[in-house]
Amino acid sequence: MTPARPIRVMIVDDHPMVAEGVQSLLESFDDIEVVATLGNGREAVNALERTNPDVVLLDLNMPEMNGLTATEVILERAPGTRVLILSMHDSPEYISTALSHGATGYILKDVPTEEIRLAIDKVMAGEIYLCTGANASLAPKTTDGNETLTGREQTILLELAQGRSNREVAEELDISVRTVETHRKNIKRKLGISSTAGLTRYAMEHGVLQGTGRVI
Amino acid sequence: MPSDAVIGKASRYRQKALVLAAGPLILAATLIAFMVTQQARLLAEREIDALETQLIAAKRAELQNYVSIARTAIGAIYGNAAPDDEAAKRLVMQSLAAMIYGQDGYFFVFDYDGNNLVASRQTQLINKNWLGLTDSEGTELTDAFIERARYGGGYHEHLWWKPTTRQEAPMITYVVGLQDWRWAVGTGIFIDDVLARVAAARADVDARINRTFALIGAAMAAALVLVFGSGVWLNLRERSHSEERLKLLTQRIVDTQEEERGRVARELHDSISQILVGVRYSLELAKRRLAVKDARAHEALDKGIGGLGGAIGEVRRISRDLRPRVLDDLGLGPALQALAEDFSLRTGIQTELETVVFRNRLEKDAKIALYRVAQEALTNAERHSGAGEIRIELFGHRKGATLRIADNGMGMDNPTASSLPTGGLGLRNMAERIEQIDGELMIRSDSKGTTIEARVPLSRLLAPEGRPSKEDA
Repeated sequence: MTPARPIRVMIVDDHPMVAEGVQSLLESFDDIEVVATLGNGREAVNALERTNPDVVLLDLNMPEMNGLTATEVILERAPGTRVLILSMHDSPEYISTALSHGATGYILKDVPTEEIRLAIDKVMAGEIYLCTGANASLAPKTTDGNETLTGREQTILLELAQGRSNREVAEELDISVRTVETHRKNIKRKLGISSTAGLTRYAMEHGVLQGTGRVI
Repeated sequence: MPSDAVIGKASRYRQKALVLAAGPLILAATLIAFMVTQQARLLAEREIDALETQLIAAKRAELQNYVSIARTAIGAIYGNAAPDDEAAKRLVMQSLAAMIYGQDGYFFVFDYDGNNLVASRQTQLINKNWLGLTDSEGTELTDAFIERARYGGGYHEHLWWKPTTRQEAPMITYVVGLQDWRWAVGTGIFIDDVLARVAAARADVDARINRTFALIGAAMAAALVLVFGSGVWLNLRERSHSEERLKLLTQRIVDTQEEERGRVARELHDSISQILVGVRYSLELAKRRLAVKDARAHEALDKGIGGLGGAIGEVRRISRDLRPRVLDDLGLGPALQALAEDFSLRTGIQTELETVVFRNRLEKDAKIALYRVAQEALTNAERHSGAGEIRIELFGHRKGATLRIADNGMGMDNPTASSLPTGGLGLRNMAERIEQIDGELMIRSDSKGTTIEARVPLSRLLAPEGRPSKEDA
């Protein structure tokens, strides 16, 4: 499997030893180019346009912007990017949450280094890669038949429930109207609700709107 | 310390209660003292009056005796004499003048015109007219004697000068009339001794009443001292008890903390240190083998890497035992999911979690408190309920969020007592923890199972992660 051009990889981890270790490991492969090594999600989002990565190796616990939010924002800005989570956490909850936020792979930091390379190849081939050892219990979790809303989806649900239009939400979150529309469709699908009024009522009944301290 | 403040408050209440108890006591004692002395005074007054009457009556009887003796003595002469028998009159005057008794006793004779004829111990009166004579208080003397004599005789009370001391003193006089001669014959007895006795009796009564009063006062003071003393004693005992309880609780917290530290230290030493030492040996071995180009260097390196993997796994396990990161990173729902899965796997008790789609919306304190409640509830269920099935529900609603853990076990005898040795500090501490975040903890338990429900108010729900800068961390 030798692509015409090297795979562009961005490494995002706030632990320098880990980031450097992964970087030198990946640099030992001819067909991989490390386009950036960054310390948090916000830096990653800001460097997207400049570096144009194929794969983002993303830690979960980071200052400024954590891995989950970064995953969503990266995919909003550059939908073709593959996000591969590289984490210390081996709980199934982390893995399912990462997947529900749009990540295409999840590997533990303490797997043999060969597996990182393998994971990059798999996600580049369009597959979902979950690390060995974690694979067993891992289809994305659903609760009570409902899929969990992602952080972004919760935010957008609240904005919509308060009567904002797609365009207003798009401006507020600095994303395209089309992206908001996609989120909205996903929210409605996940909750099984078809109208905006239904979304507002749902938010009310679950104590979410009241908790915002905002009056609608 | 807050507990001290509470103790202080309680003792102030107790002091108030003491004052409230002592007030009526003092009032009652005062009333009783007043009524007792009043009754005693009334009774004594009546006795003294009776005594006075009796003494005066005795004096009067005595007086009448003297007069009747005198009448008898002069009876023979007077009975046979004519109204103008001057010789007989002289005889009678002589015999009356001779009749003296006691210290101051003598007979007097006035004619109806007010002239004194006989006054053997106060001879300055004789042969003078004393009409209109009064004592120092204005009581008529001569005129009254003559009046009594004219109408057959009678008593008269007045003041008179004692012949011996020339002091005025109260006196009773009995006068009879010799109508033929128009004479008033009488004698008087001083009653100052009677009055003195009555006054002495009255003073005695007063002294007795004062003594009674003092006794009641002393008894009351003793009772008050007893009441306050026992109050103070109770207070001190209560305080030492609550201090003991506080000490016990502090000791328990310290013990728990020390136990936890000990466990972590032991685990670090027993597992990770040992593994790392092994890794070091492996790496050193690999280095030596590399130096002599021994092909088995590879083997030693593999062993070292394997050891490091083990160490990472151990650290992960210890850290998760201390505090699940998933709670901080992903929220209560996923943390409960992990807890339920672990629990189910470990105990074989089927554990279901039902939660809504919102995530990580609770304040940190609220998340941790609810998580600990769930942990405690699961531990209790495992150890005491014999439940085969546990259902955990976490949901938001208009008033906040609710966590409910229900098992189908045999229930607890006394859920509020929380004497269950759960390894933690028990359900009561859970309740306190929930109270601290303004929530409430309810425990229902019967033979069909136990349900523990913790509620957290809306104020503990976070605003959604609208602005990315706010929620990231």
